[in-house]
Amino acid sequence: MLQPETARLLTEGQMLVKSSDVGNTQEEPGLSEAEEGNPFNFTPQLLRLHRDHQLFEDGDIHRHMYLQDLYVSETDDKTTLSVSEFACHISGCSAVFSALEEYEHHYNSLHRHVCCSCRRSLPSARLLDIHIQEWHDSLFTILAQRQDMYQCLVEGCGQKFRTSQHRKQHLIKVHKYPPDFRFDKTKKDRGETKRPQQKDTSMEVAESVCESEGVCEVMCDVLSDQPEHGESMETHVSEEEAARTATSAITEDHANLSAAAHSAENTSSQPLKPQYSYRVPTNVCFGHGSVRGFRGRRGRRK
Amino acid sequence: MWRLNKVRHKAGRQADSLEELRLKRRQQEKDLRQARRDRQLVSKRLLLNEDEDQSEVTMDADSGAQHVVTLFHKLQHSGPEKEVHLKALSKALRDPSAQLTFIKQENSMHLLVGLLTGSNATCRLQAVRCLHELSHSPHTNIAPACLPATPYLLTYLSNQSTKFTELCLYTLGNLCPESDVVQEKLLAQGIIPALANCIENQRHNLAVVEAAGFTLSQLLQAKDGGGKIIPMVLASSLPSHLLSVLTPDQNFGLAPAIECAWCLHYLTCSMQDNRVLLAHGALSRCSSTLMSLGGAVAEGNKEEGMELLICPLLRCVGNLLSSCPVEDLSSQVADVSIVVTLCALLQAYMQTQTALARESAWVLNNLTAHSSAFCSALLTFNLVPGLIQLLPFSQGINIMILRVLANIAHKKKEYCVQLTHTGLLSGLCATLKMADKDIVTLSMDVLFMLVVSSPQVAEEFVRHGGLSLLETLQYNREGDIRRRASYLLENHLLPYSS
Repeated sequence: MLQPETARLLTEGQMLVKSSDVGNTQEEPGLSEAEEGNPFNFTPQLLRLHRDHQLFEDGDIHRHMYLQDLYVSETDDKTTLSVSEFACHISGCSAVFSALEEYEHHYNSLHRHVCCSCRRSLPSARLLDIHIQEWHDSLFTILAQRQDMYQCLVEGCGQKFRTSQHRKQHLIKVHKYPPDFRFDKTKKDRGETKRPQQKDTSMEVAESVCESEGVCEVMCDVLSDQPEHGESMETHVSEEEAARTATSAITEDHANLSAAAHSAENTSSQPLKPQYSYRVPTNVCFGHGSVRGFRGRRGRRK
Repeated sequence: MWRLNKVRHKAGRQADSLEELRLKRRQQEKDLRQARRDRQLVSKRLLLNEDEDQSEVTMDADSGAQHVVTLFHKLQHSGPEKEVHLKALSKALRDPSAQLTFIKQENSMHLLVGLLTGSNATCRLQAVRCLHELSHSPHTNIAPACLPATPYLLTYLSNQSTKFTELCLYTLGNLCPESDVVQEKLLAQGIIPALANCIENQRHNLAVVEAAGFTLSQLLQAKDGGGKIIPMVLASSLPSHLLSVLTPDQNFGLAPAIECAWCLHYLTCSMQDNRVLLAHGALSRCSSTLMSLGGAVAEGNKEEGMELLICPLLRCVGNLLSSCPVEDLSSQVADVSIVVTLCALLQAYMQTQTALARESAWVLNNLTAHSSAFCSALLTFNLVPGLIQLLPFSQGINIMILRVLANIAHKKKEYCVQLTHTGLLSGLCATLKMADKDIVTLSMDVLFMLVVSSPQVAEEFVRHGGLSLLETLQYNREGDIRRRASYLLENHLLPYSS
């Protein structure tokens, strides 16, 4: 559905945007049916620029240089073209890069395989899988009491061990790993709880991050240590969420899932404070591509 | 007439080294930018005698002032040597402090006006030269002092002596921007009809046309702007004359067209209704001139100073487009291959005059906003790949190009498919990672239109690694971006998530 044409002032450079009335009867992809909650609202616009507009500055200066006999045909110093910077999108990470490759490297190193619950960044999908399983899966803990569950970290080895200590010994002895291998810490080493109520400052930022329905819904699953309790709340939330439109966000305060479900307020409209650098927010998790092993679990997802 | 070469020759002869010149120029540019920010951007022109050089050093200030007083006395009393003294006076008045001294002399202006209107033609010429020097003064109290002369200057615009008329015109042009008082007086004294008649009657005399164009441009830049001056100009015969001058003359060069084009720019960018100008065929004229110039540029014939003409033409076309109803567009801009011109200008000036490239992209936006014909032309002439290559460049370039691409995608699903074939998806995969949130948001809007146009496009986007890209965008700090990413993933890309 065509948005009503209005004249409005854009903040950028005081452009007077005046859309002239158009009898445009052609089909518009995606906009013909006004879908509920569709955030896409692009409409072509005629831009009328007034005399003092920023866009006109260089041309005006050139003109007046000519009037004042300061004209030179070729600029002595060729203007260096300005290239757009790339930036890490992750809320809370304010890294900026001048080249696409740098950005890709940063992202792949720091954000790609991140544990949803404890923010740890793992170097590979496999290690992330193992980490999640061993740290955040209560079923794993139960099963590990009776059988060898701790996998060898080396791909292709396939061996499993009763405890993480046994695995560590194996890694050192057989695979010549260092005893302080970074990606084989046990939970006790870190000494941190994995309860989401841990409200450090990054939580503020993360609050509004996990808006996408269905993504955190699954991962948030792993946060709770009491599956039954979490389960009922989760289901409740997901039903609610399914009914909601994409534009109304709900805070992912995992300690108060029911409260969130009832709350109709869009608290994510709070401005995020971008002063955290290189800290990935608590609840960053990487949706469809990165969900490991919990998809379809307990028949939750629709 | 301004011969652009003159500047370089002067530069060569100067004692200053090239580096000093460059520094000086840079400083002057800085001053101009500040002046523009303060809305005080005003320039004056000094018409030199053919034999002289502006940098000629005259005597120092004190003796200059004294000299002027001496000359003034001589002029009050002398007989046949008046011409000699007047010529000396005009030279002496080059110096700013001498100008002040002269004005302070009682009856000095009265004397000059008398000589200006007297029976001696040589004296008239020298007198107007004196006034011209005064008009070029940096001191703000000089211009009002020259007001008694203006009715005569205006009257003389219809005379046939080229040099004399030029001097009158440039003097008036220098006086125009000085103050509201001056402008009021000039308007009351009929400057607009006088200029109109001047151009009309001396249409063949391009030096005069250039001078008249300059004077008008000075008047149009007045801060009053839309208030009185512009409506009066629009109501006169000036618009059609200005339009007729746009085509550069082979022999004389670009200068008259440059002045008239800038006049037209000041007319079109005012907040006045552009219907009068549209009725005169301004859009048609400006766009066809632009096309012939652009054609020359594309062939590599970049005549010196061409951008001084291309710039105001681009602006006229851009702003006229914003006032032109869509149904009239095809009659006003008959040739859709203007898009070829604009893209050529974009490419040609990206490195040397990025502002011109930016303005060309702006015009493309206005052309494609509501017209399928121009969108289709961009596709047909295979101009889109060239546009996509410019997406890395910031400072207004990529955002405007994205707008153009969005305009195209917005029209028809077929266009979306065609856009995809040009490789736009990989271009978007890069712009979606940029730091500027407006670029990311607009890129998402384009992406949305492409993806919903056909399942093939959605599939191809997924092949480009689009899913993980969107997933990360779900964690962007901007709400607008997060919502778009989520919406796209859930409603249109769900079947493709592995």
